[in-house]
Order: sequence, then C-alpha cells, then structure tokens
Amino acid sequence: MSSTEPPHRSRFRASFADPEQLLGAVKHLRAAGHRVLDTYTPFPVHGMDEAMGLRPSRLPRACLAFAALGLAIAGGFQIWSSAIDYPLRTGGKPLLAIPAFIPVAFELTVLLAGLGVVASFFVAARMRPRLRVPDLHPGANDDQFILAAELGADIQFPAVARELMGLGATESSLLLDDRFQRGDSFWDRPAGIGALLLACLPAFLLLVSVPFLNRDFQKRNLAWDGGMGAPLSAQAYDASGVLPGGQVLQSPPPGTLSRRSEAPLAFAPGKAEAERAGRELQNPHQPTQARFNRGKLVYERVCATCHGREGDNNGSLIVARGAFAPTVLVSPVVRDMPDGRLFHIATFGGPTKMKGYGDLLSREDRWQVVLYIRELQKAAAKPAAVPAPAPATPTGAQP
Amino acid sequence: MAHDGEALTGIGVLAGEAERYGHNLPLIDGNKSYHQVTEEVFAPTERHPPLRWWLALAVTLSMLGLGVWAATQTLTRGIGTWGLNRTVGWAFDITNFVFWVGIGHAGTLISAILFLFRQRWRTSINRAAEAMTLFAVMCAGTFPIIHMGRPWLAFWATPYPNSRGSLWVNFKSPLLWDVVAISTYFIISLTFWYIGLLPDLATQRDRAKTKLKRTILSIFSLGWNGSNRTWSRYETVYMLLAGLSTPLVVSVHTIVSMDFATSVIPGWHATIFPPYFVVGAVFSGFAMVLTLMIIARAVMGLKEYITTRHLEAMTKVVLATGMIVGMAYATEFFTAWYSGNPYERYVFLNRALGPYQWAYWTMVGCNVLSPQFFWFRKVRTTPWMIFILTIFVNIGMWFERFVIIVTSLHRDYLPSSWAMYRPTFIEVAILIGSFGLFFTLFLVFTRVLPMIAASEVKGVLKNVEH
Repeated sequence: MSSTEPPHRSRFRASFADPEQLLGAVKHLRAAGHRVLDTYTPFPVHGMDEAMGLRPSRLPRACLAFAALGLAIAGGFQIWSSAIDYPLRTGGKPLLAIPAFIPVAFELTVLLAGLGVVASFFVAARMRPRLRVPDLHPGANDDQFILAAELGADIQFPAVARELMGLGATESSLLLDDRFQRGDSFWDRPAGIGALLLACLPAFLLLVSVPFLNRDFQKRNLAWDGGMGAPLSAQAYDASGVLPGGQVLQSPPPGTLSRRSEAPLAFAPGKAEAERAGRELQNPHQPTQARFNRGKLVYERVCATCHGREGDNNGSLIVARGAFAPTVLVSPVVRDMPDGRLFHIATFGGPTKMKGYGDLLSREDRWQVVLYIRELQKAAAKPAAVPAPAPATPTGAQP
Repeated sequence: MAHDGEALTGIGVLAGEAERYGHNLPLIDGNKSYHQVTEEVFAPTERHPPLRWWLALAVTLSMLGLGVWAATQTLTRGIGTWGLNRTVGWAFDITNFVFWVGIGHAGTLISAILFLFRQRWRTSINRAAEAMTLFAVMCAGTFPIIHMGRPWLAFWATPYPNSRGSLWVNFKSPLLWDVVAISTYFIISLTFWYIGLLPDLATQRDRAKTKLKRTILSIFSLGWNGSNRTWSRYETVYMLLAGLSTPLVVSVHTIVSMDFATSVIPGWHATIFPPYFVVGAVFSGFAMVLTLMIIARAVMGLKEYITTRHLEAMTKVVLATGMIVGMAYATEFFTAWYSGNPYERYVFLNRALGPYQWAYWTMVGCNVLSPQFFWFRKVRTTPWMIFILTIFVNIGMWFERFVIIVTSLHRDYLPSSWAMYRPTFIEVAILIGSFGLFFTLFLVFTRVLPMIAASEVKGVLKNVEH
C-alpha cells in the first residue's frame, strides 16, 4: 500500500461451502469493524438479513397500495359503467348492485397487487434484462456461499484472510474493481416508494374521477377510431342548413299514401268528437257470416277480458278480480248509441278507463267488432222481452 | 426461526421433538451435495432428449393436431357440428372447461397454500405443479373461446371503450366474473411461476454453453446474481404472491361454480356449489399432479427428489378431499329431499336412476370409492397403485362435471322439452386435442426449464427448521 489514501477502502471477497459458515463469517466481520456489502448465495440463507443488518423490505406497503388501486379502479368503474353510463337493468337486480360487483373487484385487487408488487420488486432490486450481470461470482448460483466486504479502518487484508480461513473460507481475495453498490437502492427507501406511488397518482386520480365527471349523455363514448364507427348522423328534428324547410325530417311528397292505405280519420279524442262521430259516421260494412266470425274473434281476443264474452260485464279480469266494473255493452245505454260513436270509442277509448285500440286493430276490424256487439245486444234482448237490467253503472257513463 | 441447525442435531430434546414431527427425515434422498442438485436438476435441459421423449411428443402433437382440426371444423361449419340441442345447450365444452380449470388448482395450492403452511416437502413438486396450472388454464381457456363460434370477437367480453354508444359488459353476470377470474388467475399464476423461476434461470444462464441460449436466459433472468439484498426482497415478494394466490385460487373455482349456482336450474341452484367445486378442483388437481409426477420421476430419474414420502403426502390430500367431495354428493341429495321442491327432487333421482345413471355411478365409483384405497399405507407408497387410482380420480372428476351439467339440463320443466345429449366426434376430438396441448406443453417444459426448483431444494437439503 502506498502512503496516499485510496479513494475507497479496499474490498475483498471470500467463498464458503456452507451457509452456516458464511453466516458466522458475516457476523464476525461486522463485529470486527468491517463493512459487509452483500452476500451471494444459491438460496436465501435464513438469518442473513439480521446478520447483515438489513431492514425488512417495504414491498408489502407497495403491495397494499396497488391492491387499493385495483379495488378503487374496479369499484369505481363498475359503479360508473353499470349505474351511470349504461344503466341497463338485468335480471331484476338494482343498477347499483354492490354484491354483484364484489367478484370482479376482488379479482382486480389481486391482479394489481400481484403485478404491482412484482414491478416494485424489479425496480427496487434493479432487475432488468442484462446481458452482463453485475457482481456475478462464479458458483454463487450453484454451490458457493460468497461474501463481499469493505476493510475496516487500519486493518490489513492478509490478517483478515487468515481469520476467514479459520472460519472455513475456501478462498478469499481482494477485489480490485469498484462495482459494489452501497446501501439500499433509492427505490427501497421511503422516498423511493413515495415517488413510485406519486407516479401512479395521476392515473389513479383520473380513473377514480371518471364516474364523477360531468358527462354529456348525448355524446358517444370514447372510441378508438372515428371513421365508419361514428358517421356524421343527424337526428330527425335537428336543424339542417341544406335540406328544404331547414329541418332534417322531410314531409312525404304530395299524394303519398300510408302503407295501410287508410285515410286519416277526421276525428279527435273526446266526448264531443264521439258524439259527432255518432252523427256523421255509418258502419260501412253489412253484417255477413264472415264479418260476424271475424268480429267475434276480435271481440273475444281483445274486448272480452273486461267486457265479458256476452257483453254482460262478466269478463275474466276486471270484475272477477274486484276492480271497477266496465260499461255493460248489452245495456240500453249502449244499445242506443249509434255505430259511429261505438267506433269512436273503440278507436280513441272511453272517457273513463278504456284505452283506445286504434293503433292495435285495423279500421275494418273495429267496424266488425261494432257489428258483433250489435249481435250480442240482439241475443241479450231476445229471451226477455224487456231490456236486461243494467247493473250498477253510473248514469251517462261512457264505455 | 424456532431452532437453528446446531440445536436440532446437537440437543437430544429438540432432536426427539423433531423426530416426532418427522423433521429428521430428509426431504431429498441420496445425501446430495448442492452441486449434485444443480447437476441433476439441470441435466435434462442440457442434453438431447431421448428417443422415447420424441415418441411421446409425436403422440401428443398428433392429439393436438386432431383437436386443431376439430376446432377448425367447429369454427368454419358452426356449433351445429356439436351434439347440443335446444334443451342441452351447454355440455361438453363447459364440462372440459371446468375440468381443466380444476386441474390447475392443485398447482396453486402446492405453490401458495403449502408455502404459507410451511410444508417444506412442496419444494420438489411446486415448479412442475405450477407449470401444470398454467397449461391446464390454457386448455380451459380454449373451450369458451371455441364455444363463442366467432373467437375473433372474444375481446367483446372485455370492457373496452367502443363506438356503439354507451355500451359496457354486464358486471352483474357470473360469466363476466368468470372471464375476469380466469384471466387474473392465469396472469398471477404465470407471474408467481416466473418469480419462482428467476434464481434457477440464473443458474441455467451461468451454465449455458451456447451464446444464443445464454442471451435468452440473460434476458429472462434479469441480472440475477444471488445477492442477499435481492433474496431478501425476493422472499417478501414470494410470500406476498403466495398470500394473494391463496384467496385467488379459492375465488376462481367459486366463480366458476357461480356460473351454475346463480341460475335457477334445479341441480345447479345450490349454495353448496362454491365449496363443493373448490374441493373438487383440489381433488382432481392433486390426482393430476400425482399422475404426472409418477411418470416424470420414473422417466427422468428424479426418484430421489420426488420420493415416496412426497407421493404419500399427496395421496393423503387426495383421500381427504375425496371424502369431502363424497360428503358434498350426499349433501346435495339431502338438500333436494329437504327442499320439498318436486323439481329439485326429481333432478337428483333422475341423476342417480335416470338415463345418465351410468355417468353418475362412474363418478361415485371413481371419486368416492377409489380414494378409499389410500387408507392403506401400502397403497399410498406404491407408485403404480397410486397411478391407477389417480387415473380413476381424473376420470371421475371429469364425469362429475358432465353429470352436473347434462343431467340438470336434459330434463327441463316441460316434459315436451326433454332431450338426450351425446357428444359428436368433433367434440370428443377437441377434448383429445386439449389433452394433446397439455401434454405437449408439459413435455417441452421438462426439456427447456428445470422441472424442479433447484434453489428451493438446496434450501431444504439439510431439512433443518430455521
């Protein structure tokens, strides 16, 4: 050794054939004032962390943080997509079905915790694909137990080498290069873990805040591409700068007939209009056997559930279940109504409960039902010469 | 941490205690040195495979080819090539899916749960069992994808931003839970397996003879040099992954069982399904590990690593889980009777006495009766007997899924809808193909990577409790 101090204290290594000897040597060297830099072994030697004075790893905290991230992403995304962005009710479950979200939330928690802690491990231990492995000692991955240390102050290597041989070392030598890392890596210190988490924070905040962003539900979702997936479509009532009339929806050309070829009825709903229809409309069909059959079919499918098969209010739904009684069709009140008024009621509904059937039954069918009701009324009137007694129908009530 | 090496060998009291718990029995036979372990574990990856390996590979590749042909038929001609009908709309594919997922569970159980319970004998078998998990999950995943009919649209099962207006997957559906659970299971199992491989990849890298091999292994071994600072973190990560995998593996088969249990089909709609499926998965998985290990230890000369004590420990798991499975069968019948629900009762009577009774009794015979032979120590320690019994268990567990699925479906509420299901040749060929895929991957694995975790085995060579 020259008189000038080297920039670093000399470093040396020693090999052992047995993990217990290595452990003893590490303890001895530290007690003697040397600095043990690291050991290289084919399997983890238990008790070495304590012998080297290493602190427990902080990786569990990273794992916890990533688990929380996974839980937040899965929870937030499921709530947002299922209850806010796409509120589709399925299986009779509530939109915000928290128990149903647990499986996916659990899986994503585990996924992110697992991948996150492994990524943190790679960063902390500086592991990456390396064609030249630093500090690779021959046999360290096979059957050699190797330590690397820094000489303590005022101690010469030959004396240490003799001690190491006494402790069972098979070989020891000075290390001439200066490749050994000192201390913990940055990523293993609190600042490092903090930096790692901080780096994840923007992504975390972005994902968590997605459900709370004020979205315009008229707009499409975020899409990977525009093109044919998102054409320039226009809504029917949007204004248009190019089309006649300034509106997207165009009127059909003059003289266009609807596909049903039925001219529009010149009547509106309401009692006054019903009375006008009674005055102005005639049943265009004559009672034939075919029209009777068709009217019977339609009546029994559509009308009889409330009004009863015989028009006597003995329907299977309303009265039998204790609800309101509809108008008795074979009563004198209805018998005296003109065909046009019955047709109007069948089309637009009555003034109380009955709904209109104009959009469900064709015009011809509605007229045929009126014909059939007339036949029912005749049948009800025949056996008794007097009109059938009308049960509790309020006077003037419309069907 | 309880006692270190000197205490075990030196002090009589502790040695006696150790003997009582079997701690003085070596886990590895042959009184090996560390270097000998390295040599023997890595030898298969460094020499040319023997002729019988190539023959085995030819057989498994033929099976795989048959499966690929059948899958191609399915995809080009449609699902009509299968024997499904209006009543039994789900049969062979889902049976195979559940079967393979279940097989995978033993690998995770051995690598994670036995690790947490400090069952040190796991070190000889965990690598291969984890590989088996990965290959089994790959086989399982092919079935739902083929069943889709249009597998190129499989990504529709994931919640991705799309251009169809507001449209997301249904997070309340067990089928979606399944997609998430199986994917997570595969990714975490792969990660766990890779982390466990790192030290051995480094050993393999140091021993590599050719530049190409060395380069590839350098990339995957991530500069591993055996540093204790790395080992310290590595052990933390390994334990965390084990801790994460343990509830994960339970959740995966729970969710698979929910594919059935959340429906209202008599025979499926049962709260016992999650534990019943998880135990069945462990049962079938351990049987498959035993089947593979018995072949591997004989063919690859690893009898001193995978000893009869390892086999015996695993047969005990098979026996215990087999009896739990039997208990579950009995409980299902009790529940059906106690429910007072005529449909539920009918399904179970039909299961045992109906047209598929042959399948039911095959299942009971293989799963409940055959493991009972493991009560005998002689059977537990005789590899060929274990081999035969575990084959029976594998057959029985396949039939269990078939019975649950087909017998519950084939007699609908309306007798006019009753139907029988039988698989077509195409479906059987896809099943054979999945076995081909599984064994092909396993055969390649045994020649490319160390089948035994050398670094872990070295740690238990002296079998002292640190």
